[in-house]
Amino acid sequence: MSLLSKEIAEQVKQELADLAGPVRLVMFTQEFECEYCAETRQLVEEVATLSGQLTAEVYNFVTDKEKAEELGIDKIPAIAVIGAEDHGVRFYGIPSGYEFTSLLYAVRTVAAGKPELSAEGMQALAELSEPVHMQVFITPTCPYCSSAVALAHQMAVASPMVRADMVEAMEFPHLAVKYQVMGVPRTVINETVHIEGAAPEPMVLEKLREALESAGAQA
Amino acid sequence: MLDFKLTQHQQEEPPREMVEQKEDQIYDLIVVGGAPAGLTAAIYAGRAVLKTLVLVGPLAGGQVATTALVENFPGFPEGIAGAELAQRMQSQAERFGTQIVMESANEVDFSTSPFTVRTRSETYRGRTVIIATGATPRRLGVPGEAEFFGRGVSTCATCDGFFYTGKRVVVVGGGDSAIDEGLFLTKFAREVVVVHRRDQLRATRVYQERAFANPKIHFVWDSVVEEVLGEQTVTGVRVRNVKTGETSVIEVDGMFVYVGMRPGTKLFAGQVELDEQGYIVTDQRQHTSVPGVFAAGDVQNPDFRQIVVAAASGAVAAIEADRFLAEQAHTT
Repeated sequence: MSLLSKEIAEQVKQELADLAGPVRLVMFTQEFECEYCAETRQLVEEVATLSGQLTAEVYNFVTDKEKAEELGIDKIPAIAVIGAEDHGVRFYGIPSGYEFTSLLYAVRTVAAGKPELSAEGMQALAELSEPVHMQVFITPTCPYCSSAVALAHQMAVASPMVRADMVEAMEFPHLAVKYQVMGVPRTVINETVHIEGAAPEPMVLEKLREALESAGAQA
Repeated sequence: MLDFKLTQHQQEEPPREMVEQKEDQIYDLIVVGGAPAGLTAAIYAGRAVLKTLVLVGPLAGGQVATTALVENFPGFPEGIAGAELAQRMQSQAERFGTQIVMESANEVDFSTSPFTVRTRSETYRGRTVIIATGATPRRLGVPGEAEFFGRGVSTCATCDGFFYTGKRVVVVGGGDSAIDEGLFLTKFAREVVVVHRRDQLRATRVYQERAFANPKIHFVWDSVVEEVLGEQTVTGVRVRNVKTGETSVIEVDGMFVYVGMRPGTKLFAGQVELDEQGYIVTDQRQHTSVPGVFAAGDVQNPDFRQIVVAAASGAVAAIEADRFLAEQAHTT
């Protein structure tokens, strides 16, 4: 039984009709599939059929360990959205509910290879000299979360120093506890800095600088 | 968990039938706010063939977007998910050629016509404006509330309810939101303690009955929260009984605040007349103190705060904007 209704599938087809380039949905699961691993794999396979530019690749987290390490995958289910380049755009947990839009948006942005950020934002990101890891904790029923995920993914596409993950809190409760996530969206930057809520671009950039400064690096 | 929504949260390509707008072009109507009032106004304006722009902000729907289930909007006997209702309103507005921008206004100038509305990336000008910026949740303003906001204190049960699975939470308030969201929280929490400053709820009777019948919900009457306690996380709230003056601590893992709304009018202070509580003053036809500027929805009506009322006022505002433009055209 398909996950996407005929109606949604049609709409997705239209949305992806003008993709700027090929995109690979590289998905990691395992044999004894975890909570939403099977559904995430099915989703990726279904979405890949809706555009000639999309391909789904499914790997086993355990037996394809090298591939997982190559792409920096440390938990499953995981989707790496990769275009001509790997910009570090990841989804951990199933991108359902409002995050489905985030998945499509990531596909379009990665296909184009061009982010939609302000000139100041692009400038600030170009000046980053240390790596930045953004983890955006969400739940699928949170309406504001997809804006936070989208912005983080934009920044990942904009800068080779930035990688950004959507992390679905319900599937990774140990991470929710580790990062004290009690409200979503909550963005964790380089383990140390947190942002509550869907903050606008200038505020997120401020927080990136804060994270790098607190580690003693120049931003 | 396994439903897949197609919503818009970023600026998309304008849909067909759209007139390409350049910065020096002037809209017939700019709607500030993309929730039921603003989107209904846009539907009516679009059908009146007015060149219309709606500044939605990060997410369409306002308070509706975070409402799990809407059961009292006419036409939906099974109820409809708030976010879905908001999306449908937005799609309907777009169908009639409205331009939607997913940004918020951060500055306005109504001192000259055409009026100016700015976002962080663009400046727009319009011959008429409808203010439909709604309202945001009031905070209690007690110690600990700001400190723990987002990690133990919340105003959005649909967003954060999950994190209190198996835990005990306080809901502050006695109206529809408090009780409706309190009931929603029982899906996750093991206990919901409703703290209300009176001995009677204001909520709709249907909600009251459901709440009283729910074994997970308990009530602490005649009480207000004085402080939110905790170290790394919230461990409790101190409440005071307003009749006896007695204080006590309720041990909880989180607090949800539903004590009313604040109108989104900071932007408009000094531009249009506001009442003492900050709501926009309008007449029965949604006119503000500035000719050509109208207001609709909760931002100008704290008395009813219903989706259908907001939608109605949005329609009226759009019709009045259209009439205003027609009159202007005749007199020039």
